[in-house]
Amino acid sequence: MTRTLSFLPQSLLSSAGAVLLVLGGVWMIQAASGQEMAVSLEMAREQGRAKSRFLKDTPEIAHASDVIPKANVAVFQKSVGPLLKKSCVGCHGPEKAKGRLRIDQLNPDLLHGPDAERWREVFNALSKSEMPPEDEPDYALAAADRGSMVDWLSAELNAASVVLRSSQEHSSFRRLTNYEYNYALQDILGLPFPLVDKLPPETTSADGFNNSSELLRMSAMQFDTYRELGLKALKRATVSGARPPAITYIISMQEEMDKAAAKEAKEELEKAKAAKRPDRKRNPQRSKNQPQLVQRATGERIDFAEGEELPRDGAVVGKTPPLSPVVLELPRGRELKLDLDRFLPDEGTLRVRIRAGRSSMNPDEYASLRLIFSAHTSNNANFSQVVSAHDIPVTAPADKPQLIEFDIPLGDIQRNPFRHLATTFPRRNEFLHIQNVSNAGGGEEALRVVMDHIEISAPFYEQWPPQTHAAIFFASKNKGDEQAYGREVLTRFLKRVWRRPVTAGEVDPFMALFAKYRPGFPTFEEAMVEVLATALSTPEFLYLTQRVANAKTKSPAQISALELASRLSVFLWSSIPDDELLQLADQGKLRESKVLTAQVKRMLADPRAQRFSQNFVEQWLGLERMSSVTHVTDNALKAAMQEEPRAFFVEVLEKNRSIMDFIHSDYAVVNERLANHYRIPKVYGPQFRKVSVTPTTNRGGLLTSAVIMTMNSDGKDSHPLKRGVWMMKRILDDPPPPPPPNVPQVDLTNPEILKMTMKERIADHRNKPACNSCHSKIDPWGIAFENYDALGAYRTRIKDQPVDATSELFNHQTLDGVDGLKRYLLTDRQDQFARAMVHKLTTYALGRPLTFSDSADLDRLTAQLRRSGDGLGDLIQLIVRSDLFNSR
Amino acid sequence: MNSKSHPLNRRTFLRGSGVALALPWLETFAAGSRAKDATPKRFLSVYHPDGVGLPLKSDPAWKDWSWFPRGGEKDFELTKVLDVLQPLRSDITIYSGLSHPAARNVHGHSNADQYLTGAPVGGSGPYQNTISLDQVYAEHAGDFTRHSSLVMSTNGGVGGPRGAQTQSFNREGRPIPAMNKPKQIFDLLFVTSGKDAAAMLARSKSALDLLIASTRSLGRQLSKHDQQTLSQYLDAVRDTELKLEKAQKWLTTPVPQVDTRNLHLDAEPKEARLYFQTMYELIYLAFLSDSTRVATFQLGRENGEGPHDLLSLAVGLGGAHGLTHAVKNPGGWQNLGTYNRYQAEEFGRFAQKLKDTPEPNGSGSMLDNTLAMHGSASSSFHLSRNYPIITAGGKNLGFTNGRYLKFGTGNEDNQAGAGIVSDAGWTGKMEVEELPLAKLFVTILQRLGVESDEFSGQTGTLTRV
Repeated sequence: MTRTLSFLPQSLLSSAGAVLLVLGGVWMIQAASGQEMAVSLEMAREQGRAKSRFLKDTPEIAHASDVIPKANVAVFQKSVGPLLKKSCVGCHGPEKAKGRLRIDQLNPDLLHGPDAERWREVFNALSKSEMPPEDEPDYALAAADRGSMVDWLSAELNAASVVLRSSQEHSSFRRLTNYEYNYALQDILGLPFPLVDKLPPETTSADGFNNSSELLRMSAMQFDTYRELGLKALKRATVSGARPPAITYIISMQEEMDKAAAKEAKEELEKAKAAKRPDRKRNPQRSKNQPQLVQRATGERIDFAEGEELPRDGAVVGKTPPLSPVVLELPRGRELKLDLDRFLPDEGTLRVRIRAGRSSMNPDEYASLRLIFSAHTSNNANFSQVVSAHDIPVTAPADKPQLIEFDIPLGDIQRNPFRHLATTFPRRNEFLHIQNVSNAGGGEEALRVVMDHIEISAPFYEQWPPQTHAAIFFASKNKGDEQAYGREVLTRFLKRVWRRPVTAGEVDPFMALFAKYRPGFPTFEEAMVEVLATALSTPEFLYLTQRVANAKTKSPAQISALELASRLSVFLWSSIPDDELLQLADQGKLRESKVLTAQVKRMLADPRAQRFSQNFVEQWLGLERMSSVTHVTDNALKAAMQEEPRAFFVEVLEKNRSIMDFIHSDYAVVNERLANHYRIPKVYGPQFRKVSVTPTTNRGGLLTSAVIMTMNSDGKDSHPLKRGVWMMKRILDDPPPPPPPNVPQVDLTNPEILKMTMKERIADHRNKPACNSCHSKIDPWGIAFENYDALGAYRTRIKDQPVDATSELFNHQTLDGVDGLKRYLLTDRQDQFARAMVHKLTTYALGRPLTFSDSADLDRLTAQLRRSGDGLGDLIQLIVRSDLFNSR
Repeated sequence: MNSKSHPLNRRTFLRGSGVALALPWLETFAAGSRAKDATPKRFLSVYHPDGVGLPLKSDPAWKDWSWFPRGGEKDFELTKVLDVLQPLRSDITIYSGLSHPAARNVHGHSNADQYLTGAPVGGSGPYQNTISLDQVYAEHAGDFTRHSSLVMSTNGGVGGPRGAQTQSFNREGRPIPAMNKPKQIFDLLFVTSGKDAAAMLARSKSALDLLIASTRSLGRQLSKHDQQTLSQYLDAVRDTELKLEKAQKWLTTPVPQVDTRNLHLDAEPKEARLYFQTMYELIYLAFLSDSTRVATFQLGRENGEGPHDLLSLAVGLGGAHGLTHAVKNPGGWQNLGTYNRYQAEEFGRFAQKLKDTPEPNGSGSMLDNTLAMHGSASSSFHLSRNYPIITAGGKNLGFTNGRYLKFGTGNEDNQAGAGIVSDAGWTGKMEVEELPLAKLFVTILQRLGVESDEFSGQTGTLTRV
């Protein structure tokens, strides 16, 4: 393939040499001098951008609220029709009707005729140069003719979509998804732990999203579960009576050392007796690879990995005792196992407070603490479970240790069900393990975690009554008057739950309910909690509402400012709006341009925005599939794989980088475990960070991330078909049709087929007539990834043969491996990807399937995005101020 | 074996079971039944831990004390372990070659948990179970009766992960606590308390009224399209209302009257025979009164000291679990076989009783409309393969009995894993082919009227059953 650099802008040419030297590459270009020069992916991106049709000076794309447009049938009759007849009807007409398409029968009035969807397919095939086929010279289409057809179709399709939009209703009115419901409950009640694991799983839409209005159904079972969970959450947030006494364990390293020393001395003595040898001195040689207690002053060591603990009466948590003369050293991967017997309460927060530091401060080494809870009730009846939500890094030096605190919900974790038995079998004990998760090297001086003080206490409360309780049952001068105070409590709670101000009339039925409940309960609070639980089952909490002034009005119409606040918070926080958003909405300021921009920025900077990146990325890329993958046996690798796309997305979002970075970037976002997998050197620690990559790393962008390659494999090897379908669905937004019935299976009992490489097998299948039309579109995208194995590791050989990752697209474009694929996307498919990204993000933001009638809005958004420079942060700002986001 | 262990004729069991049955009383029961128009379809699963005796052919004990029958589908011959079922031969089916694939290489002690669920609960680490067979059926049939299911075990409660003391797990895979005290079970079935329940129902009713009003008021402010969506919510509330009304009805419906004079409601496992028979009697009464159509009963826990271990006292033997470890001691196979024989005998007594009771609301006997399953998740020592399973009854549900059904290939004489007393069995490679037990579960569900073609990831039924 030969191209010249003549079409490149001058500014690029001047810097091209330097870039090329650094980056290398595979696409060689004949330069004027006659020497071969490679064009970098960065340059391909520049070239591709220059081709965008969205950047051309086209008239402003039709606006939904503009005058209803008319069909331009005249142009069809004059030029488009004859061109179709000449180049298309031969195969898509009365004689052949390939792909069941009869172009001659399509109604040229896209606005009022029934064929707009089919015309969009024609438009897609023409604009991607997939049609007419290159090997049919009789039907060849001149570039100018193709251009005029594409222009006409594009204008008509947009107009048609505007017409459709104004005549057809589609709605974002939906219930909250399970995860949104959970976050909303947590945010309303201030509960730190997830509450919802009982709701039936959500259905995934054809687009891959779980928040699609058409699929979020409600059933009696779902409703029942809401009632149960709401009450359970409220009971967890509120308390009654006096502060329950805490069970507290304090592990004293000095005492443990005394005990361990006495035990060891006794064992030594017995050993010596048994061996009938005179008492000998203990062997001072101990491997520092074991957890050990160390006497700071003398350096004396003794192995200590398991402690038996009992609660201490009257012990107080949260004190800071002086540094202990004895410390526990925990090497990498080791744990301290504490037998807590059977005294932990059934419910409440378990606070584990550890004072710890590092034995050495090499910045390339990290250490962190993890908690595991277990029981061993009889032989072969045991369990263990990581109970800490995250590993907490130990960063302080041992001589100036830090305090590390874990909070564990005792009612939610797997407990030992036999702990209340009166008899001693099955065993009643429960164990807490404190584990050092680290990348420390080996050897005597390897980094260890040094702990000198451990407290374990439950139920733990920062204050009494706890903040979650005080937020519902707040201080008030009316507290003595159940009627007046009840109304205050309800008014505040309903406002939060319904995300809007409430009237006295709306509170009345809840007060009536309270009046009915009150006699059945000993305290005001307990009766009120039951009433509040009912509020958490109201449709206004469970659904994202959009009111109309008059039920007969047709859309589009603008949603209210308060509804916008909810839509924003569900989009960016997967939850309800906070007071600031509600207040701005209530004051009518939220739609002011500057205010809205600032609010979106604030929301994205809030920790709750992690839910957005988590949920959107998972659904966009279909990462759920990873949960059924069984061939990744290294849990740390699996976790890192799953985290990478989200971390990458956050990097692009926070820096407002171009969405084209998803196709390719000169950086990767990795942690140590993943960097090892990618063979990127010198990345230490579990946190994800941006690191530069070169072409020899064979990474950059999202397409080759290990998780994508792994979940689109068959567990043993790559799976080009899955990868191809994934590309088309997730990246190009051009999903292939489902396979037709009666497709012949690949016959793996055929020895001829068994001999073939994966690529040959696929080619064999593709050459069957029933399969060809689809597979010729799917397979090439997947074959380009053949350099990546079932775990996404880069390879140049498969078994004994060199990898052949070249493929040819339907339009005869050759893709030379992933580099070629990226190059092609960046050079020729930027508009398609940009529109796909807009489509995906808008679908998620609206929580409803997008239809043809939304096309004009999506095109306008895409044009705005491309003109503003493709920044992901800009795209979010554009979406929230779009007509789509602001209308019902 | 003394003569007392051969009691399967009607007169002896009436005397032995501790309950006096009289016809008028039967009719009272029938009148208390809810769904009079439909004959109830019932399901019972009894689980016993520790498996059964599987001596090698070369062992002298093989002839008498190997659990599985010998011979073909119809002409099979029962060994001494199951010969107590000979009188019921035409009402039972015995299966071999079935197991849950995920458990085949997991230590048998961990596997009571997955007998009715087929979940890959594994042997260590985090634990997740799935819904059990009985609860799938309870979701289907539970609305017809006062209690959707009756969950019982000798040890009670839920037990621990991989040490279940219940056979029943809900939709989320959480264990449903089993009841183990006859008195408590009897009170649940036949004594109303219901005061708290009534108050709770009344509260729910008021809450639903509020929610309906609130939904209507919201609906008026929505577009036609959105009103459609909201109507699902309203339907859900109305369905819940109906459910409450039903619960309300049960509260006001008098519980069946049962004469307790001959029931030994204080029996404890150490009074093995009495306890065992009382528990079976309670299941019988629950079925007879149509208080429930679904029951599970677990005889103790895997690998445990504990109440169930005492059941072997009934046949004069020490700890039941120990019997499986001592098969190579003198008389070892016979002792284990004798205990298994006793389990079969009590199961047979129960089945016989159902057989002798005409269906109160339908044709045939109660047994014809009941599928009672008896089995374990181990066969040989710690080995979760080739589960020893018996079903009784179900003629009217479509089960053809009087058969010994062998599934899988390569183990026609049940010698795979036979005679082992070490963990080499369960850690070893599977040399024979077995079929997924879940396929039998699919068959059972379909015969019970549940439209389902899948259980625990297995699609399709078991042929020949």
